[in-house]
Amino acid sequence: MSLERPQDTALDAEGDVDPQAILDLLGDRVLDTEEHLNADQSVVVRPDAVEETLLALRDEAGFDHCSCVTAQEYEDRYESIYHLKQYDDPTNEVSVVVPAAKDDPVSESGNAAYRTCDWHEREAYDLVGINYENHPDLKRILLPENWQGHPLSMDYDQDRPQVVTLGEHDNPLKDDHRDSDSDTMFLNIGPHHPATHGVLHVKTVLDGETVADVESDIGYLHRCEEQMAQNGTYRHQIMPYPDRWDYVSAGLLNEYAYARVAEDLADIEVPEYAQVIRTMGAELCRIAAHMLALGTFALDVYGDFTAIFQYAFRDREVVQKILEDLTGQRMMFNYFRLGGVAWDLPEPREDFFELTRDFLDGLPGKLEEYHDLITSNEIFQLRCVDTGILEPEVAKSYGATGPVARASGVDYDVRRDDPYGYYDELDWDVVTEDGKDNYARVLTRMQEVEESAKIIQQCVDLLEEWPEDERTIQSNVPRTLKPENDTETYRAVEAAKGELGIYMRADGTDKPARFKIRSPSFSNLQTLPEMAQGEYIPDLVASLGSLDIVLGEVDR
Amino acid sequence: MAEQTLPELIADVTGLGTYGVAGEFLAAFLGAFVIGSIMLSYTGVAGPWAKRKITAAFTDRYAVNRIGPFGLLIIVADAVRLLSKELIIPEDVDRPAFDLAPIVLAGSAMLGFAFIPMGSIFGINMQIADPESGLAFVFAIASVATLGLAMAGYASSNKYSFMGMLRAIAQNIAYEIPLVLTAASVVLFAGSLQMSEIVAAQTLGGGTEPLFAIGGLEIPPWFAFVNPFAFVLFVIANLAEVGRNPFDIPEAPTEIVAGYQTEYSSVYFVLMYLGEFLHIFLGGAIGATVFLGGPAGPVLPGFVWFTIKIWAFFLFTQWARSAVPRVRIDQLIDIGWKGMLELSFANLILTAILVGVIV
Repeated sequence: MSLERPQDTALDAEGDVDPQAILDLLGDRVLDTEEHLNADQSVVVRPDAVEETLLALRDEAGFDHCSCVTAQEYEDRYESIYHLKQYDDPTNEVSVVVPAAKDDPVSESGNAAYRTCDWHEREAYDLVGINYENHPDLKRILLPENWQGHPLSMDYDQDRPQVVTLGEHDNPLKDDHRDSDSDTMFLNIGPHHPATHGVLHVKTVLDGETVADVESDIGYLHRCEEQMAQNGTYRHQIMPYPDRWDYVSAGLLNEYAYARVAEDLADIEVPEYAQVIRTMGAELCRIAAHMLALGTFALDVYGDFTAIFQYAFRDREVVQKILEDLTGQRMMFNYFRLGGVAWDLPEPREDFFELTRDFLDGLPGKLEEYHDLITSNEIFQLRCVDTGILEPEVAKSYGATGPVARASGVDYDVRRDDPYGYYDELDWDVVTEDGKDNYARVLTRMQEVEESAKIIQQCVDLLEEWPEDERTIQSNVPRTLKPENDTETYRAVEAAKGELGIYMRADGTDKPARFKIRSPSFSNLQTLPEMAQGEYIPDLVASLGSLDIVLGEVDR
Repeated sequence: MAEQTLPELIADVTGLGTYGVAGEFLAAFLGAFVIGSIMLSYTGVAGPWAKRKITAAFTDRYAVNRIGPFGLLIIVADAVRLLSKELIIPEDVDRPAFDLAPIVLAGSAMLGFAFIPMGSIFGINMQIADPESGLAFVFAIASVATLGLAMAGYASSNKYSFMGMLRAIAQNIAYEIPLVLTAASVVLFAGSLQMSEIVAAQTLGGGTEPLFAIGGLEIPPWFAFVNPFAFVLFVIANLAEVGRNPFDIPEAPTEIVAGYQTEYSSVYFVLMYLGEFLHIFLGGAIGATVFLGGPAGPVLPGFVWFTIKIWAFFLFTQWARSAVPRVRIDQLIDIGWKGMLELSFANLILTAILVGVIV
């Protein structure tokens, strides 16, 4: 214990978490401690003391970021894990493990401390079957209301009918919204609507053109990604899935998430050369993803397939070409391997470098054109400035990350704050904006494209100079990986939309016992009501566009 | 004196004039048939082909190029496609208002062309009627379209349609007044509501002096040159009137799906779209007549000039659609009532004073 420790934090003089201070802070709420590879301290707390534990950690120890809530079932108990971090330094991590009784799994909700727990706990209830006390609205989130059972629980019987008719079930349509005295209108936006970027259903209550209430209904694209990953072997069978989470060209960024967590769990080294290639590929994906975000946001505000949408796609196509040359695929790359990448840069290398350099050289001009076309357009500014305000404190409470958080002035980027790959060796900046509005989110993404270009430039320089006999693309990884029983870790990377984290628990076999995905879009989408309530419908649509969600990642 | 109108010419040439009212009616019908066919074929070219080609050029795409030269035969293919689609009529719609709305929309736009002097070609004056109150009549008829929108939105019994209707009506009321007021300032110059008189006041020769001459090139006194301010106001108000960016609020695809036309399919959808394109052309025709000298122009026949001018208006709407963001509904209303209305009144009063002092 350090003498210099500030009173309201549990950090030592170096700014790292002091495990004993956490225990001191929580006192008798702690039942036990555990070992999580990522966390500085993992405490097991009483299921009826969740709220005060989380509040204490948030207010007195500075853990302001509830990254994820993982739920799982053991032979003898249920368990919820709250993965807490600090926005200032995400390497300071604490896991709060909450056991719940096998026969009656009930634990207290953490919603009072972190708003993001709302959806995360609903998902835990939906898939695993833990009941959260004091939760404001505990109902299914990914599966339909009339689903039977909790598919990730151990006694789930797949042979039983999984969905019953609405009539047999408690009819969710029975609360008819018609009320003769009401002067509001209930409007279903989606799941088939031009502005929802996929199958999102936004239940909206309108007062004239003003949005009185918004509730997102998700799950239309739920594909059991977690369960599929739990049925795949670490070595090769899981890597193809991440491409399908955020499927609009962010594939390599998602693969990075799995690579990072699995390499952490199984303790695999990655050759430096492969790390540079990974970093370059990931940033190419980020540019492609941000271009798409820009184009579709313009589509939402302009209202038609206008020039800017097509320009963004024209330039994104160049990135796609580079990625295709690199990975052999346009969408589902499956390029990373544990311990490296699948293959080296395409031959002839000069052509690949030239293609990439040509793109990077042309990029500033393209961005200039975008700024001329959209961000400096008066009508565009009229539409976007000061609409969809997301206050930084609100963003933090909802666990918002990525460009959404950075546009609200939250200086948080996993690439810099919790470095992985080759990022800490390179010279680049984290972009933040103070606008907090739709406009700031667009600007942030456009500037991040520039930063990504800087990273790619440096990677290309490095790769060009790399001595031919040191080009190791994969380290020596055992054919079958069997991490030790009961090793648990949660690791995140900065994907296109924000912090993409994966929790994995090994049980001694070659398949993960629990594979939980923390998708950035899922958390970011939760902020929509905060942005849209009290604004006009067009602003709701613009805010939704500026969140840049991909439903494949929200629903998983 | 005004030229012989198209039905009069038909009556003379065919001898229908000798059959009294019935003959005149038949001649008028034939005249209307000719004009209607021309405008519909413009729309036919504009909708499936020109619109695609123009926006493709703006947005760096190819658009239709497989069927026929320049992809022109896509018009035929699209006609077959659109007409053979299933006509889906939702259960709760309010008939016959639901069925009448597309007809009112397309019909009101068509009617407007009856009074537009389209110039002459091969010695035939392409104008069906030339009443003394021509301009007022055109505006009156063009605004009947709002009724069509209201019928469509209300009868569809769909919330998106309903919102589109509310928006459309709010927008049309807000922008119809500036539109008419700016046109009225022109009437002060021309001293007449009669369309042919307005055109004559802008056409060189026959007592009209050129505005000024640059090196032997005489600039005609088109009202767009006489009062550019009014022209700009008119063009903006007209964009709102035809519902194109930045004022495509009533449809706003990414907000309220398709507005008042959400529930329309197949032939009804075609009629709705037909009505919209006709309205763009009608807006162009009014603008051309009132501000750009109607069919006036050198060398080429008047009707060709008129065609060029209305297509130029069409091109402009497509340009705006490709490049300009959409404003929000409250901003639209703000611009309409707080900006356009004041400016158009100022324009009218200033023009009235100037005309009073100079003339």
